[in-house]
Amino acid sequence: MNKYLVILLMVIFYLQCTNSPNDSSLTIYTHRHYDVDKEIFANFEKEMGVKINVVNASADELIQRIESEGDQTPADLLITVDAGRLVRAKEKNLFQNFNSSMIDSTIPDNLKDSENQWVGITKRARVIVYSKERVDPSELTSYEDLADGKWKNRILVRSSGNIYNQSLMSSLISANGEENAMNWAKGITNNFAREPKGNDRDQVKAILAKEGDIAIVNTYYIGRLLNSDDELERRAGNAVNVFFPNQEDRGTHINISGIGIIKNSKKVELATLFIEYLLSKDVQEQFATANYEYPINSNALSASVLEEWGDFKEDTLPLQRLGELNKEAVMVFDRAGWP
Amino acid sequence: MAISETTYFIKKIKNIFNKWTLATASIILVLCLPLLAILLGLLTGAGNTWDHIQKYLLLEYISNSIYLIIGTGILSSLIGISSAWCVATYNFKFRAYIQWLLYLPLAIPSYIMAYAYVGFLEFEGTFDNITLNTTSGLDIMNIWGLIFILSISLYPYVYGSSWVMFTSLGKKLWESTSLSGITQNKYFFNIALPLTLPAIFAGLFLVFMEVLNDYGAAKYFGINTFTTGIFRTWTALEDINSSIFLAAILVVVIVIIQIINRFFRGRKSYSINDISSNSQNVRKNIKGIHQLLVLTICLFPVVIGFIIPLLQLLKWSMLHISSQLDLFLFYLSMNSILLAFFTSLLIVLVALLLVFLPRWSKNTYMKFLTNFSTVGYSIPGAVIGITLIAASGYFVNYFDYIFNLKIGKYIFSGLALLIFAYLFRFISVAYNPLEANTLRINPSIPESSYLLGKSKFFTLFKVEIPLLKSSIISSSLILFIDLMKELPLTLILKPYNIQTLAIKAFEYADDERITEAALPSVILILIITTIILFLSKYSKVKAY
Repeated sequence: MNKYLVILLMVIFYLQCTNSPNDSSLTIYTHRHYDVDKEIFANFEKEMGVKINVVNASADELIQRIESEGDQTPADLLITVDAGRLVRAKEKNLFQNFNSSMIDSTIPDNLKDSENQWVGITKRARVIVYSKERVDPSELTSYEDLADGKWKNRILVRSSGNIYNQSLMSSLISANGEENAMNWAKGITNNFAREPKGNDRDQVKAILAKEGDIAIVNTYYIGRLLNSDDELERRAGNAVNVFFPNQEDRGTHINISGIGIIKNSKKVELATLFIEYLLSKDVQEQFATANYEYPINSNALSASVLEEWGDFKEDTLPLQRLGELNKEAVMVFDRAGWP
Repeated sequence: MAISETTYFIKKIKNIFNKWTLATASIILVLCLPLLAILLGLLTGAGNTWDHIQKYLLLEYISNSIYLIIGTGILSSLIGISSAWCVATYNFKFRAYIQWLLYLPLAIPSYIMAYAYVGFLEFEGTFDNITLNTTSGLDIMNIWGLIFILSISLYPYVYGSSWVMFTSLGKKLWESTSLSGITQNKYFFNIALPLTLPAIFAGLFLVFMEVLNDYGAAKYFGINTFTTGIFRTWTALEDINSSIFLAAILVVVIVIIQIINRFFRGRKSYSINDISSNSQNVRKNIKGIHQLLVLTICLFPVVIGFIIPLLQLLKWSMLHISSQLDLFLFYLSMNSILLAFFTSLLIVLVALLLVFLPRWSKNTYMKFLTNFSTVGYSIPGAVIGITLIAASGYFVNYFDYIFNLKIGKYIFSGLALLIFAYLFRFISVAYNPLEANTLRINPSIPESSYLLGKSKFFTLFKVEIPLLKSSIISSSLILFIDLMKELPLTLILKPYNIQTLAIKAFEYADDERITEAALPSVILILIITTIILFLSKYSKVKAY
């Protein structure tokens, strides 16, 4: 008797987990796992009467999965946290084109694919933060300058396995050529305050602990540190100021979180509607305030802390290039001995 | 003459290829699919970045992995053997509790341990605050720190196997050797330790596998190991062929270590059930400073391996408890528990089949082949995940082609694929103890059932399974713990409507929101702790 009950329960559990997505639903594979995303998805569900299924994993895993699932894939949309992975998905022929006059008119060309296969949804800058106590901001100019000997034992940065560092390197290869980018990486390696480790927040905490004086981090981590529930994190955030490099030339390196419609999806219209929803002014402001990212829609306002840092000149390199140069960037890191 | 020879031959063939042989062979074949897919990587060869990997990266991957294995091996042996020796030979206050508390670090996944310790020891972190900011923090994000983290989370494997051995040596051996005037120290180093070595090595083998399985802690500390390298080759260098090639090399090395391990320990297993009542150990009573010393040796691992990280996580979870403690968290916990519960039942069931089918088939080759279907535990979860996700498409197509039915996708996608991956990775956890304990069942018991005309399955369910009840329950519980903690496979293979506590904690941590990762981690740890304590209550009856 008990045996059958267990078997019955197993079958019910299995079926509950395998019910297939129906017509009025969207399945989203996403690398973003912020709580605000869930709120925004829930709002869309309510407004449109559509069910949204979410699979969270890293973009690499999701791309591999969409590839393996082939025409059986339940995925309608893929969201990544960097442009490089979007380009990779496009190269693997996983996306389809979408047409939207709203996207055409509101999103600058460098933040979307030239063939309308993906588009950014939020934007972040990779900046230099410096110790308020020990660094005079007039010392700072550009990423290139960080290779200078005056920064010896003062630079904190995470390892080269991190995608944000890889994208920054791609932008330097694009701006200065591979040879110079390589010398730059070697210069930075000589200036490390410590071996690269930890995440972006740990670099800022290390400035508070006086292990180094400047760090290369993404903007939204500073926003989050300043607004953290943890006192130590707030103090770390308050110990540094943000500097936007390369304002005299090409501008500060930016990257995006972006989205594309999966080739085998049969719900292009609904999916396009969803993308437009994510890019609408209100939702953009919701992203910006909850997660301290920069909105992509220029009509939307940034979070107040971002406003305080002021406007800055962005590198307008088409983000597509970041993806195309990513592999080369990783190899440059390896050759330069940046672990 | 010739005719009878032929009939004899046919009879022999029939004996070898009976229905049980076929059933065994097909289970083994399916279970070996992931292994075959990985080893196929050796034939396919490396991809186009291989020269680059060899020139700039491979040496670092290998040397770091070797340092980690040696360092963690030494440190976890020191902790595990010393505490096991104390618990097995002395009588002191709270001994009965401490004996089980020493297992608790198993409840904390090593990457969560890593985050907790960084928070505890960092500049102006908890330790710094307790000592009134006199330490300016202790940086443990280096290879020594990683060895420390891995050792304190993995020593229970060494502790467990050596404790069982020390206890089973029994008092007779000590009495007879002490007659020759040998001191306790000499007894430990010259007699007990050498006799226990195979058991220690068995525990150490599990430690090594877990060290190679670790991805989260090494990545956070910025230490490039073989396993992080496999990931980096796949994701950053965009070269899945070289990635699987690296994985295949690792698997070959592991299989070699495993053969050495089998050679050392022969057919023995070192589970709690091995302590038979006639090896009752009379422990030495100790008092005063001696007792204090022993208490310190035994409590030290519990404090650093469980209490400190748990307190740090509790401190963090207090920050978000009001916003995080909701129905969703309850749903997550239920989801994790149900998934782990049903999967462990399934794995035990398949393990039982894998134990009994080869016996029924009376075919010795099958027995040998089952060895291959239980190597999954020694392959890093991430490697299995990547291989399966890359190969699942082929599996689906092959199945559909062979059976001419569209059934492949129900077996090799979604939840089924995840459960299949769990099965491959964890089956040895159930298979090894069940197999060892089945050997002890007197063969005349099932034989008499067959003589009464009962079928093999009837005998299995009514006679053999009841005899194996205790090892079935204990191995299901251990499986449950492993499955609750499991991260890489679940992360890579889970379908969209599966969420677990381990995944939730990882997502927060990956997103650099470690304080928010604390609450799901704490719940996970508490559930596992309950299971470990239950296991202790349950096994106590058996052990004495």
